[in-house]
Amino acid sequence: MDLTLDAATLEFRAEVRSWLTEHVRPLSSMDTAPGFEEHRTWERLLAAERLSVVSWPEEFGGRDLGLLQWLIFEEEYHAAGAPGRVSQNGIFLLAPTLFAHGTDEQRARILPPMARGDEVWAQAWSEPEAGSDLASLRSTAVRTDGGWLLRGQKTWSSRAAFADRAFGLFRTSPEGRHRGLTYLMFDLRASGVTVRPIAQLDGEPGFAEIFLDDVFVPDRDVIGDVGDGWRVAMSTAGNERGLSLRSPGRFVAAAARLVELYRKNPDPALRDRVVDAWIGAQAYRLHTFGALGNPPTGPAASVTKVFWSELDVSVHETALDLLGEVAPGWRDGWLFSLAGPIYAGTNEIQRNVIAERILGLPR
Amino acid sequence: MTPEQEALRDAVRSLLDKHSDVRAAIETPRGYDKALWARLCDIGVLPIPEEYGGSGATRAETHLALEELGRTLTPSPLLGTAIAAQALLTFEGNGILLRRIAQGAIATVAWDHTGITSTDAFDHPEVNARSDYLDGTARYVLDGDLAEILLVSDGRSLYEVDLAGVTREHTPTVDQTRRLATIHFSNAPATRLGPWKTEIQDIALAALAAEQVGAAQRALELTVEYTKTRVQFGRPLASFQALKHRMADMHVLVETARSAARAANDEVSAAVAKVYCSEAFLKIASEMVQLHGGIAITWEHDAHLYFKRAHGSSQLFGSPADHIERLTRSAQL
Repeated sequence: MDLTLDAATLEFRAEVRSWLTEHVRPLSSMDTAPGFEEHRTWERLLAAERLSVVSWPEEFGGRDLGLLQWLIFEEEYHAAGAPGRVSQNGIFLLAPTLFAHGTDEQRARILPPMARGDEVWAQAWSEPEAGSDLASLRSTAVRTDGGWLLRGQKTWSSRAAFADRAFGLFRTSPEGRHRGLTYLMFDLRASGVTVRPIAQLDGEPGFAEIFLDDVFVPDRDVIGDVGDGWRVAMSTAGNERGLSLRSPGRFVAAAARLVELYRKNPDPALRDRVVDAWIGAQAYRLHTFGALGNPPTGPAASVTKVFWSELDVSVHETALDLLGEVAPGWRDGWLFSLAGPIYAGTNEIQRNVIAERILGLPR
Repeated sequence: MTPEQEALRDAVRSLLDKHSDVRAAIETPRGYDKALWARLCDIGVLPIPEEYGGSGATRAETHLALEELGRTLTPSPLLGTAIAAQALLTFEGNGILLRRIAQGAIATVAWDHTGITSTDAFDHPEVNARSDYLDGTARYVLDGDLAEILLVSDGRSLYEVDLAGVTREHTPTVDQTRRLATIHFSNAPATRLGPWKTEIQDIALAALAAEQVGAAQRALELTVEYTKTRVQFGRPLASFQALKHRMADMHVLVETARSAARAANDEVSAAVAKVYCSEAFLKIASEMVQLHGGIAITWEHDAHLYFKRAHGSSQLFGSPADHIERLTRSAQL
């Protein structure tokens, strides 16, 4: 495998590095009202430079660059310690779905404000009785004049406390588990929507419950065909589990910080764990670069999901063991890493997918 | 993979399916099947340019063949010979040796682990250059007693040694599918080829990693096949979630190990591949034993061959701990 970069890519890397060096500064937590707005402003700053969605077509605010350049961007972004992406649900999960299943009208209307941070999206998948067994969800969309009326309850909805809009699955027909579902977008400030923030283990409302009481959604906000939502959603799930949401840049940067921490706090008993974590991050990076021509989707995305989520936990736990206390600079990342093996489908579900759909083991 | 590479892989796999008999090979005095080695050379798996009478294969093709040999655990001089050929190609003017290898001569390289703090088991080769005569002992040399071309490093230079000046003995190890030897040098005449280069070690680690990935992949496949057919409590073992998840983890390890092996092309990435692929194969071989249950504890079943190969390979060319030590001291860490 040849990881040599061409001149244009190296120039792009230099441009990104220099811009980030000049502009990155610490922001408040995005899970507070003022911090959320600071992150929105940061997204606007990125967008003004066409750096918020570099791999998108230019008409939607991107630079039309390839996956390789996006990975380079991500490496620089994480190495610079740049802010978390408040837009990530939209740009990494909804946007790929719109590229694959949306209409021209939907892309033209939704993607530009998403790229600028003017519209921040929350995801609305899970329900109180539908977690790992997502297809058992009960929230409904009932036909009405010119659109649909949403009823029910969503939960663990990331960013919903402060976001503008949300996307999720709703039951449009009682027949069949998977067949009766439809993919819809809705406004979190619409009449009939109640958002109740849920404090996460760091004490801040990183996600929320959403109660829907006859919330009107126009027909133009249905993605794909009515009743085809499960198939449409699974393409989004592949993105969430695969490399889109968790590029290796994040782990390579975290492992580099861990090595730096070891240099300052050497503890021979932990040395092998530090190197193993660093090697794991390198292996994931090489795995991703090797898969560039054939990005992991579907069951292959489950392989990467298990790998990066457990790597993230081990990098952060090793850092805490080195420090001997929950230190600033690592605490938030550590707490966040605990969610990795759970969201986007628990790692137990991913292992079922790998076992049944890749290895062909019986159900 | 290019169509040509796929064809080469298929040719090697089909040859091994038909002719590889590991149990028979390890009972022979030389420990490998000479006819099979000749056929393998005919397919053109050695990384020797056409100008030296070779097939023009590159290391990518050689690594595909090593993956295949790893799958079947076939004892073969390919690993050592391919490393030696690549070592020779890092210098000018070794056409005669390369031509001999292209014609089927077995070759190997023995080197000091420069830059590694070795444990007692890895203090080889303790050779000291005295002008063009060598003294000392090289231990755990891959195919060392079979090699017709013996390259050895004293840590400063690489030599081609006159075999008349050395005594060699086979060193049986836990892994019967791998041939190692001890070589004594006593005033042994040697030709200096040039300075020792650490890139030769990187070449060796990358080649070994390819073989480890092939073996790990096959160990997983055998485990999947077995648990799908073995029935207990009225269901195939493979339908139990506790076992499915373990095999899913094995798959994650194989896929990431393959990526690390294919990317190994410099000092750091080769060390990463060595550590990662060694640990992945060890884990998978252990799981293979556990998921097979009692049958894996028998001589008759191949699980112990994979288990032993995993351990032997993890120690060959320096253990994961040695390379972690080296990585921690390198500029990268």
